[in-house]
Amino acid sequence: MAIATSGRSEAARHGSRYAGARVLPFPLTRRSVIDRIRSGDAEARQLAFGTLAAGYWRPSYHYVRVRWHLPQEDAEDVVQAFFATAFEKRYVERFDPAKAKFRTFLRTCLDRFIQNDRKAERALKRGGGAAPLSLDFPGAERDLAEHLRAPAVDPDAFFREETIRGLFARTVEIMRSEFTAGGRARAFRAFERYDLAGETGASYATLAAELGLTVAQVTNDLYAARRRFREIALDQLRGLVGTDDEFRSEARDLFGFEVPD
Amino acid sequence: MWLSDQVVSHLRDVASWPDLPEGRYRVLRPIGQGGMGRVYEARDERLDRVVAIKVSNAPFAGSSLDARLEREALVSATLEHPGIVPVHDVGVLDDGRLFYVMKLVRGVTLEQHAATLTSESARLSVFERVVEPIAFAHARGIVHRDVKPSNVMVGPFGEVLVLDWGAAKRLDDPDAHSQPAAVTGETSIAPNGATTPGTRMGTPGFMAPEQAEGRVGDVSPASDVYALGALLFWLLSGDMPSAEPGAAGRAPADRLPDVPKRLRAIVARCLAERAEDRYTHAGEVAADVARYRAGDAVIACPETAWDRFGRWFVKYRTFVGLIAAYLVMRALVAWWRW
Repeated sequence: MAIATSGRSEAARHGSRYAGARVLPFPLTRRSVIDRIRSGDAEARQLAFGTLAAGYWRPSYHYVRVRWHLPQEDAEDVVQAFFATAFEKRYVERFDPAKAKFRTFLRTCLDRFIQNDRKAERALKRGGGAAPLSLDFPGAERDLAEHLRAPAVDPDAFFREETIRGLFARTVEIMRSEFTAGGRARAFRAFERYDLAGETGASYATLAAELGLTVAQVTNDLYAARRRFREIALDQLRGLVGTDDEFRSEARDLFGFEVPD
Repeated sequence: MWLSDQVVSHLRDVASWPDLPEGRYRVLRPIGQGGMGRVYEARDERLDRVVAIKVSNAPFAGSSLDARLEREALVSATLEHPGIVPVHDVGVLDDGRLFYVMKLVRGVTLEQHAATLTSESARLSVFERVVEPIAFAHARGIVHRDVKPSNVMVGPFGEVLVLDWGAAKRLDDPDAHSQPAAVTGETSIAPNGATTPGTRMGTPGFMAPEQAEGRVGDVSPASDVYALGALLFWLLSGDMPSAEPGAAGRAPADRLPDVPKRLRAIVARCLAERAEDRYTHAGEVAADVARYRAGDAVIACPETAWDRFGRWFVKYRTFVGLIAAYLVMRALVAWWRW
């Protein structure tokens, strides 16, 4: 993971009276996933592609199921074939940030792939020259039930929403592991009960009583968990975009503030 | 793991909440969003009171957003006036974003409050209270540069507060000429938060021509006077001023047919195209409006002898009526005796 710079130097450039302020680590510019896929290093390319596939397979599956109305088995095959072919045919390397966001580029590739069903079938038969990805399709199928109730009209918006949902879900899983391993299970429990429960109106006091904590402990736990959530989400987001500019734009869109140059 | 739309939306929201330092302030909820920053209702645990915290949208110092937020905090803190929200604290969050703590203003915007004002007197009363803090700032060499109805709040006790001093310009600041001509939170922030010196920005209809044209060096208290004229026009007519720069002042008499001539003249003087044809600062606006309300001559409207008599007659109509009644009575008594 990339990170950490001195906020002091940034503040000093500003010439502000707050120039001595401490700035905590934030994901900073690093080599983009696209650059790593384009690299001549086969291992780095495979790893970078794996990052990309991990972030996009689930939104792709939901997209194929909802927008293209493909049956479950066909959708699974298409998603597997799409990523295998994308790796083999080096789709990602054709990405031009001047034309579109990476997410839109990938969705367009997927649309074209499905439109040309015969090609998809051939790719599937060839296996794309890459090992099939280990993907939790049954889990993705369970999630899908929510979408089938009210699928979004705009395909790009739908794909975007699914990408964010997947990003947050992975972030929460990373947090769960990290907090549990780091002896901070209590903080994650508060986060899980308050921020992941999907209920509204519960107070910190209610949660404190439920968890046997003080309100101050709940406040501090939620503060720490939310901050870590943001850090991990931003770091994960980096693996899903094509350029630093796109990262900043997506981060701004996601959380409403600027991330650093 | 499945996250519902509601959870995703909630996570996006809470992840952007500020990490306030040392546990002194605890965020309760977001209450407003502008181009410069987001405002949260929070509890000051040390002083046990509810406050408002404005947090910059940019996480690292060095952004023009931070510079503007800092300017807003400093200007607001400098101007200790009942019509300006007091600033309690200022600092930097752990993630680098600038914030400042201020009094929580409970109330409605002038846009909402104006709908309840039914008389000219009530509208002028509110207008005078808007002018007061601007005049106070002008007297201390500060120009607001973004006076408009949505930047005015009216509290539950009728107190009027002028907000959003982030675009303010200090006339004695050597860097003032490099600051944008005007700024509005909603429209002026570039994607990277940067602004360009002399950039034409502001709120159409409330921008003086020199602001609209990006002539930063020409911005002066008279630029706020223009905005006050546009605001007075809006209060009196109910219509937003024309978005075309300078258009609002072209024919105010035609556009305010039911407004008395002397008051129309005040509006017209505020909205003059050339800054030198306007009142020089808000204090003069306040004085002329006060003169109008007292029935005295206003400097915006030269009077003929007949105008002066008419105004005098209206101002002293009760007294004149009493004298006339007295004279009639005396005449009747004299006639009866005769």
